[in-house]
Amino acid sequence: MKQENIRNFSIIAHIDHGKSTLADRILEITNAVSKREAKEQMLDNMDIERERGITIKLNTVRLNYNYKGEDYTLNLIDTPGHVDFSYEVSRSLAASDGAILVVDATQGVEAQTIANMYLALDNNLTIIPVINKIDLPSADIKKTKQELIDTFGFDDSEIILTSAKTGEGIKELVEALIEKIPSPKGEKEEPLKALIFDSLYDSYRGVLVLARIFDGTLKVGDKIEFMQTGSEYEVTELFVYNPNFLKVESLSSGEVGYVVAAIKTLSDVRVGDTITLAKNPCKEALPGYKPMQQVVFTGLYPTETNKYNDLREALEKLKLNDASLTFEPETSEALGFGFRCGFLGLLHMDVVEERLEREFNLNLIATSPSVIYEVLKTDGEILKIDSPQKLPDITKIKTISEPYILTNVFTPSEYIGPLMELCQNKRGIYKSLEYLTPERAILHYELPLSEIVYDFFDKLKSISKGYASFDYELIGYKPSNLVKMDILVNGNLVDALSTIVHKDFAYNRGKVVVNNLKSIIPRQMFVVPIQAAIGSKIIARADIKAMRKDVLAKCYGGDVSRKKKLLEKQKEGKKRMKKIGNVEIPQEAFLTVLSNEEIND
Amino acid sequence: MISSVYIHIPFCSNICNYCNFAKFYYNKNMVNSYLNALDKEIKLRYKGDVIKTLYIGGGTPSSLEVDELERLFQILKIFKKDKTIEFTIEVNPENLTLEKIKLFKKYEVTRISMGVESTNKKFLDYLGRHHDFNKVRTSINLLKREGFTNINVDLIYALKEETLDDLKRDILNLVSLDVPHISTYSLMIEEGTILGIKHEQNIDEDKDYLMYDLIRKTLKKYGYKHYEISNFAKEGYESKHNLVYWNNDYYYGFGLGAASFIPSKRITNTYNYNNYIKGDYVKEIEELTKKDILSYALILGFRKIEGINKKEFFAKYKVELDSLYNIKELIKDKKLIDNGMNIFVSYDKIYIENSILINFVGE
Repeated sequence: MKQENIRNFSIIAHIDHGKSTLADRILEITNAVSKREAKEQMLDNMDIERERGITIKLNTVRLNYNYKGEDYTLNLIDTPGHVDFSYEVSRSLAASDGAILVVDATQGVEAQTIANMYLALDNNLTIIPVINKIDLPSADIKKTKQELIDTFGFDDSEIILTSAKTGEGIKELVEALIEKIPSPKGEKEEPLKALIFDSLYDSYRGVLVLARIFDGTLKVGDKIEFMQTGSEYEVTELFVYNPNFLKVESLSSGEVGYVVAAIKTLSDVRVGDTITLAKNPCKEALPGYKPMQQVVFTGLYPTETNKYNDLREALEKLKLNDASLTFEPETSEALGFGFRCGFLGLLHMDVVEERLEREFNLNLIATSPSVIYEVLKTDGEILKIDSPQKLPDITKIKTISEPYILTNVFTPSEYIGPLMELCQNKRGIYKSLEYLTPERAILHYELPLSEIVYDFFDKLKSISKGYASFDYELIGYKPSNLVKMDILVNGNLVDALSTIVHKDFAYNRGKVVVNNLKSIIPRQMFVVPIQAAIGSKIIARADIKAMRKDVLAKCYGGDVSRKKKLLEKQKEGKKRMKKIGNVEIPQEAFLTVLSNEEIND
Repeated sequence: MISSVYIHIPFCSNICNYCNFAKFYYNKNMVNSYLNALDKEIKLRYKGDVIKTLYIGGGTPSSLEVDELERLFQILKIFKKDKTIEFTIEVNPENLTLEKIKLFKKYEVTRISMGVESTNKKFLDYLGRHHDFNKVRTSINLLKREGFTNINVDLIYALKEETLDDLKRDILNLVSLDVPHISTYSLMIEEGTILGIKHEQNIDEDKDYLMYDLIRKTLKKYGYKHYEISNFAKEGYESKHNLVYWNNDYYYGFGLGAASFIPSKRITNTYNYNNYIKGDYVKEIEELTKKDILSYALILGFRKIEGINKKEFFAKYKVELDSLYNIKELIKDKKLIDNGMNIFVSYDKIYIENSILINFVGE
């Protein structure tokens, strides 16, 4: 393939604006899949992606298209839209030369539209603006066009109208990207320089490295070097994905493909590293990626303590595929051995937990998420704390500072009032309000990050009937009046239930937490007091009554077998609980400390 | 070796709101073909053992017509009966007649179990029962006049809106019948029953326990011995047949959905009427290992208030009772009591004994 006829592009958009469906249509028009093979969200391989209708991992596919008598190779890199996954977006953008910016005709420009657009501009990409979902009755093409023009300075004539549902406009779009997106630069004859932008683990082949070749050519049999880790391997296989794995003999500048080199040491492969030839290395590595800042931390523990090693292995494999995940060993008196894991956000955390449970068949207990606190001790030492358990004794603390964010809340103007109230209740500091159009505005607040870790996103969505969107940037630390709230179950402090809370909110949260625990922890054979405490001061208490009835009233000849099965089932249920002291605590209990609202039982 | 037999009669003149047994509305043609199939099953499987307890349950055996009952008793003649046999039949007050009672006497039935369930019209309606307490009283008198003294009555409690006073009246009404055996059951709302479909909820467990405690204290006062979680009897009137189940002894079960325990197997018959008529009797066979047998021995044996006799246990299973599972630890925790002869569940733990029994099942 001639390098001039290659186009590497991404699709970027706010979540739910129809990226993945648009990708499906592009796959169809380039005959990569027949209509018969087509299923929805072709590029979303993970079950979780299909179920939730979101894209989590970036996905790459090579397509062929004949335009004006010339054959073109189009490498499409699908990307996620949610704020937590912008790291994935920046990775795909670094491997692309252009991007399609998709905006939903019924929603207009939203938070991630802007954030992803700026990422694309940072990477010097050529942008093709697209208004999608024009088939919907509620589509407002004129208004959406105006927003694109006003926000980004596009020209009316360059905006393409599509319906990924009906296929309208897809052909124009494919031809526009051939016309407008530049072919990859780079020299075939230069020493090999390739960017690792993703990797995954295959139990037969070892690590599969997804790379974009910037300069030079990579062939099967070549001895390669990973420039950061210095490790060397021999290439055994090369693949492109179309969207089936297709073996090729070589990849050259401008191309994207999978590299297999019998890599078993997972830590040798780092996303952002540069691949070169061992014998003829390039002079300098590609800049790679800025390391991501994890903002949410939680303890993950296997329900069965003997699964600790399985969990470690699973985290290592997952990290290969998700470079933004961090983890380090942690011990809890209550839960045993586990890992303190860092995530880019709450959805990211959710997805990782779910992937660990599904793909690695693990049962996990997650403790309540925490942010990184900065503790100034009375002796002048500054500590970074990512877990309430690591907080020093209260007498040794001078101040605790917590991370603050600046929000960009995009909302139809009618919800501004209630959203301001929400931010206020979350200890927010009002900054400013900008109107994009008379109907849409951006609300800026400074909020403690810990407040959005709980239920901010759900509240935002329910207040605005789903219309508001938000993203945020970290703006630094501010001292706050924070305290550690401990939970005692039957007099025993359960370390995994401790949280750091604002002092003014502690009494209310304590009440909610003990009441929630009371309704989640089943009755035991004795009365179990649940207490919330700050230091040695008890701030809330609820008692779980002793169990009064747990018996099979009737058991005669006809149902002996069934009754035994019932007892076995009951025993299984107990096994899934954690025994702390002599109290059995179900897994959900460890997350109830999250909720601000009382569970009704 | 197998000296007990259960016979299931799956017909009822009325379907109760709480019942999840195998049962059908009474239908003459169905009864006829069912009795034929039952006859065949018994002839095929019964190996000629001497039978010491025989129990006809349902459904409602008394819903059968006199000629059908006569046919049933003829079929049961095949069993070699021990002289001291306990031969029970379940009846409902609404379809018990003098003629049927006389027939029971003729075929040497020794024990009657009557589904009374409540003595309060409001709760009988809730349960979907169509008799009243007067009918119960006259039926019991009729039975006694015809010479039946070994009688059990059933009571269901923990009903929606039932108060402790309501329950007390029920218990005293039953006591006034002067029968030697009373079974009491906390209402279980099961799937597939009318109450289940209506999403009725069980009452809260604190009240349920208070009701149970009221029952056991009141019945004790009137001379009934509490001998199993839900069963009370005057001295010597314990149900021998039901004790077979709790002693983990063998029994045959014939009929739709009936269960058998024979050496190293527990067999459950099909609930499908058509399959049963075709002679396709079995739904499930559970092959038992030594461990399973011991597990059953414990979860059944600890249902008895006096618990399990250590000597008898060793004689039967060749293993010391307190060497099994964590029994020693449970004794130390005062969940089980060892009085030297027997090991039994502590009085205050009887109503929460699942938490003890789950130690004896599974891995």
